Amino acid sequence: MTKLKPLGLITFFVLILVNLPFLVIIPSSFTAAGYLSFPPEGFSWQWYTMILERPEFIESFWFSIKLAAITAVLATLIGTLAAMALHRYKFRGKGIINGLLLSPLTVPSLIIGIAALLFFTRIGIAGTFTGLLLAHILISIPYVVRLVLTGLSTFDYTLEKAGYMLGARPLRVFWDITLPLLRPAIVSGMIFSFLTSFDNVTVSLFLVAPDTTTLPLAIFTYMQETLDPLVASISSVVILLSLLFIVILERCTDWNGCLDSILNPTKEEAQWTFTYYCNSINSN
Amino acid sequence: MTMNKRLSILLLTAPSMVVLLGVFLLPMLLMLLLSFQNDEQAFSVENYLLFAKDPYYAEIMWRTIRVSLWTVLCSLVLGFPVAMFMAQATGKMRGIVTMLILAPHLISVVIRNFGWVVVLGEKGWINEVLLALGLIKEPLRLLYNELGVVIGLTDSFIAYMVLAIATSLYAIDPSLSKAASILGASRVRTFFTVTLPLSLPGLVAGTTLVFSLSMSAFVTPALMGGTSVKVMPVIAYEQIMATLNWPLGAALAFLLLGSTILLVTLYTRLIETKRYKEVFSS
Repeated sequence: MTKLKPLGLITFFVLILVNLPFLVIIPSSFTAAGYLSFPPEGFSWQWYTMILERPEFIESFWFSIKLAAITAVLATLIGTLAAMALHRYKFRGKGIINGLLLSPLTVPSLIIGIAALLFFTRIGIAGTFTGLLLAHILISIPYVVRLVLTGLSTFDYTLEKAGYMLGARPLRVFWDITLPLLRPAIVSGMIFSFLTSFDNVTVSLFLVAPDTTTLPLAIFTYMQETLDPLVASISSVVILLSLLFIVILERCTDWNGCLDSILNPTKEEAQWTFTYYCNSINSN
Repeated sequence: MTMNKRLSILLLTAPSMVVLLGVFLLPMLLMLLLSFQNDEQAFSVENYLLFAKDPYYAEIMWRTIRVSLWTVLCSLVLGFPVAMFMAQATGKMRGIVTMLILAPHLISVVIRNFGWVVVLGEKGWINEVLLALGLIKEPLRLLYNELGVVIGLTDSFIAYMVLAIATSLYAIDPSLSKAASILGASRVRTFFTVTLPLSLPGLVAGTTLVFSLSMSAFVTPALMGGTSVKVMPVIAYEQIMATLNWPLGAALAFLLLGSTILLVTLYTRLIETKRYKEVFSS
């Protein structure tokens, strides 16, 4: 036990550090002062009522939710289909398709954003919801493919065969056997896609229209001009909502199983796995 | 059957391939072509040469590399002990540490950076405490300089360093360090001759990853570096969105990507060919 001590202390210190932003944001949001300070002066809800007076934040919040929800559904659908093809069939060019599906992760978000802006301007969808949505789907697909492929690796095809033998139609087999078995992987894919889209800044930055912006981007822009406790109260709301979201999902899905499969990948997958984390959720 | 199979494959992969082609591959191609365009819209390598000609851009490139290297160093120094702790801990403890180190990543980087601004600012927590204790007279400048950016980036990317190193530490046979200590090696010696060499694959993966991510990070330098710390992603963004010089912006982005790949390749070659070659081949 004694040899664990210094390591334990450093670990504790690092864990505090990486979680420090949340430990400071929430108390700061309740300050009665007009500026950010430590310790927060007095207690007041004023910065929360202030949010209601800033329609741009509320609008961008709903915009982000809408965008993330549509991204999650479409990216999961598209990604799941591709993963099923990759797992079930052997065909020429499979390796290439597999590589292509993961390739958006190897390129920095900055470049994806710039490239999309240049191309979308040419075809006339720059600054539209469609353009933004397409880009968010693109960066979410690799996640879904990876998660569904992991789910499929333990998939028992004899169950599907049994279904066919008993006379079920392909669609029925898919609906009653394939889909329920893949549910944890698909739900995890949706969660990750949702978060990827909801938290993204760097890709959105190039693609939003001036009047419709996403929440992280609205905070980003506001922060560059003013630093006041308003950012703290908005951030606190987002943090609490995210926590709630994660807790609910943990309750109704095999979240741990999926987390495990990402954290303990096979050797050749290891490199990819970390890249995932980096590019998607943490679009710095 | 084969007809059916082909059709299935086509139908299943078509949607994702369309998205990849239309939102990723074609745009990248267009961006590459555009980066070779001069003011008269003719083909030229001018944009790429500007980098060698104009010391302003060379200086920004060097600053980007410097900030990234510091970030790698900080996350390595702080991350390695955490990885070792995780490797020595039992299953449950390991799970808790993994959870706590990953949890912040579920919240947008903008919000995390804001938290750091609150901590590091002139009226921030650190300065107020140090002033109150009388350790300093003037508030320290911890933000809107390279130090601030390094702190923000380390916070952003340390998790990948920890997880990469931890993965390779998990794979080390514990009897090896036992054997070393039975043979009389001190703990420090055991660390440098057994643990560290065997963790090299994870260490290289972690440092490479953190370096590449730091090189292309945009949000943290913009929020925690302010206008004084201009790095490559920030000036590429300015060229694209403010100056509207798209060819130059595109070229700057590709130069950044190219130099990152070059540096990372050199680094991995250098380490993998030396005496630790066999560690990587296994």
